[in-house]
Amino acid sequence: MDDVERRAFMKGAGLGALAFTVGGAEVLLTPRQARALGVSLRTLTAEQAATLEAVGETLVPGARQAGIVNFVDQQISIPAEEALLEARILNVRPPYANFYRAALGAIDRSSQARNGGKTFAQLAEAEQRSLIDNMRQNKIEGWQGPGGSFVYLLLRSDAVDVVYGTMDGYAELGIPYMPHIAPTKRW
Amino acid sequence: MANEKVDVVIVGAGASGSVYAAVLAKAGKKVVVMESGPDWQLSDLISSDLWGRRIKPAGPPFLLEGKNPVSYGYQGGWGVGGAALHYFANFPRLLPNDFKIKSEHGRALDWPISYQDVAPYYDKVARDVGVSGDAKAEEVWRPAGNPYPMPPMKTFRNGDIWLKGFEAVGIRMVPAAVGMNSTIYKGRPACIYDGWCHVGCPIGALANPVVTYLGDARKAGAEVRARSTVTRVLTDQQGNRVTGVEYYDEKKERQVQEASVVVLAAWAAQNPRLLLNSTTDKHPKGLANKNGLVGKYMMTHFSSGTLAIFDEDVQNHMGTTGAQYMSYERYGKTAHKGAFGSTFIVAGTAIKTSDLGGFANARLDLFGPDLAAFMKRAARGFTRIGAFGEEMPNVENRIELASDKDEFGMPLGRIIHSYDDDVPKLWEANFAEGLAVAKAAGAKEMWSGRGNIPTIHLMGGTIMGAGAENSVVNSFGQTHELPNLYMAGPGIFTTSGASNPTYTIFALSLRGAEQLAANWSTVAG
Repeated sequence: MDDVERRAFMKGAGLGALAFTVGGAEVLLTPRQARALGVSLRTLTAEQAATLEAVGETLVPGARQAGIVNFVDQQISIPAEEALLEARILNVRPPYANFYRAALGAIDRSSQARNGGKTFAQLAEAEQRSLIDNMRQNKIEGWQGPGGSFVYLLLRSDAVDVVYGTMDGYAELGIPYMPHIAPTKRW
Repeated sequence: MANEKVDVVIVGAGASGSVYAAVLAKAGKKVVVMESGPDWQLSDLISSDLWGRRIKPAGPPFLLEGKNPVSYGYQGGWGVGGAALHYFANFPRLLPNDFKIKSEHGRALDWPISYQDVAPYYDKVARDVGVSGDAKAEEVWRPAGNPYPMPPMKTFRNGDIWLKGFEAVGIRMVPAAVGMNSTIYKGRPACIYDGWCHVGCPIGALANPVVTYLGDARKAGAEVRARSTVTRVLTDQQGNRVTGVEYYDEKKERQVQEASVVVLAAWAAQNPRLLLNSTTDKHPKGLANKNGLVGKYMMTHFSSGTLAIFDEDVQNHMGTTGAQYMSYERYGKTAHKGAFGSTFIVAGTAIKTSDLGGFANARLDLFGPDLAAFMKRAARGFTRIGAFGEEMPNVENRIELASDKDEFGMPLGRIIHSYDDDVPKLWEANFAEGLAVAKAAGAKEMWSGRGNIPTIHLMGGTIMGAGAENSVVNSFGQTHELPNLYMAGPGIFTTSGASNPTYTIFALSLRGAEQLAANWSTVAG
């Protein structure tokens, strides 16, 4: 068996796309597709989604379009043992939705306290960058929630996942993906 | 509800449990292997950092405490194959100086055995699972043994580029010993160097338990009972012998599996948790714990990573997640002036974009456009080397039961871990040397992978020793208190060395399993 054949010998055996509910039916989509289709959120509120999208885009340009909100929302809506989140690797205690609610709430409370009542999504880009940089260094006074540097690490990982962790992300960087078993839908 | 009694129940289908299962099933014993996670197949191993997280633990049964909390999510296993389903398959061995630190330096502990007791099992494991490397080249640092069954793996520019730097600082590098196929071996294909080892090798070129010992065990008739979570080890009324285990099956219903022998191979942290949760009136502190040492002497490794960007395409997507080159040049306990403990050095590894080991995490301080720019530079020229350091055993680093309970009513474990003053010194010494290597290698950008001191490869908790006064098990993993109860895995290490532990886990498990099989009637009663 040559390399190419071997690399492809189980292609298609893997199930890569995530299950989203559209019009009452379960369909397999990438988070990017789910966002483009406006798939309804299952766990995050509209406010939490707006914050997560703004934080994700600040951390990793492209995370918004790549569907970070749909990715996280879908992932925290399924059993923890099925989740693909970095939260799993970083020993976050399930249910993971609790962490995201606490983290996004802490970011918005800090934003509002420092910026005249504006949520993170309502801030100018420079203000968003400043808040994230301070959160990264645990330098936000009165921070109430999971540790700021840990929130930074975890949300940054989610954003990296949707932008750079996919086959599309590899292609964007010019890196051959070379899967043994490819995730479907380039995910 | 009780199942039919079997000869041996093994708790955990990872590296150590698989060895016991293979040896005992081949010896004609009726073997049941309990595994709390799924029965993964090779076709489940999708080449993706995201999808690769499915084969790792989901949610902590352990609360992580101390100054240096243990992080195990990245390395931990969940399901058949355990952590060895996605390990890097670096196969360095412990060296003779690891076994007698107390005798030679007046500190830490001595093992009850020497390197020469383990060496034949390193050679046997190499033949069993397939190891690629150059044993002769390693013998500048260790006693001679058998050659590895396969020649070294291919190397790539992301590894070769460092050699000039190592030579400049006087560190000899040799081909890394890895549990991977450089050629076809025992019907398993050769590696194709796609760099996805860390999420599981679906072609079986990497020696995970599914395609090695566990596969052998199944062929010999061992039953693997997936999604079966053991919560207690049971004993007879006198408290002199174990009689089986209590577990919850895939329907989450309580079951009992009686057995003549119980082997706990559920990982260094879970084994103590089980022992501590198996209290009886005869064992009020838990099983095998009269001396209070169950859960004590937890140890980890820590790495000093040197990261660099070179002004050329180093093809960092190519190779394996394991190393291409390795060195024991700084393995002496006092190799670094002012620091204590061994260092094991590796170079050359495939690096993907995301997850903890991905190059997006090489500069955690960067975000936004700065990160995007870094990713483009790193995609072409980023590579790294690693120096693993040894933590000395400390009785205060321990596992206890918590008040919180899991879904089966079993108390969670608390892993309490803090590094002593030696660790930062060795960590810093290895950073300094790594930067010297990078500079001499001609790196364009270079930096140390700082942050919190990492905790890698959990070991200890049921350490082996010469007697019941200072240890939990003997050199075969047999508990001092209960002759038909064995511990397997990194938990029985007396000290940690600096080498990746799985080769030693395989070797010690093979030694223990063969002793058990050879003394079956005495042990099983």
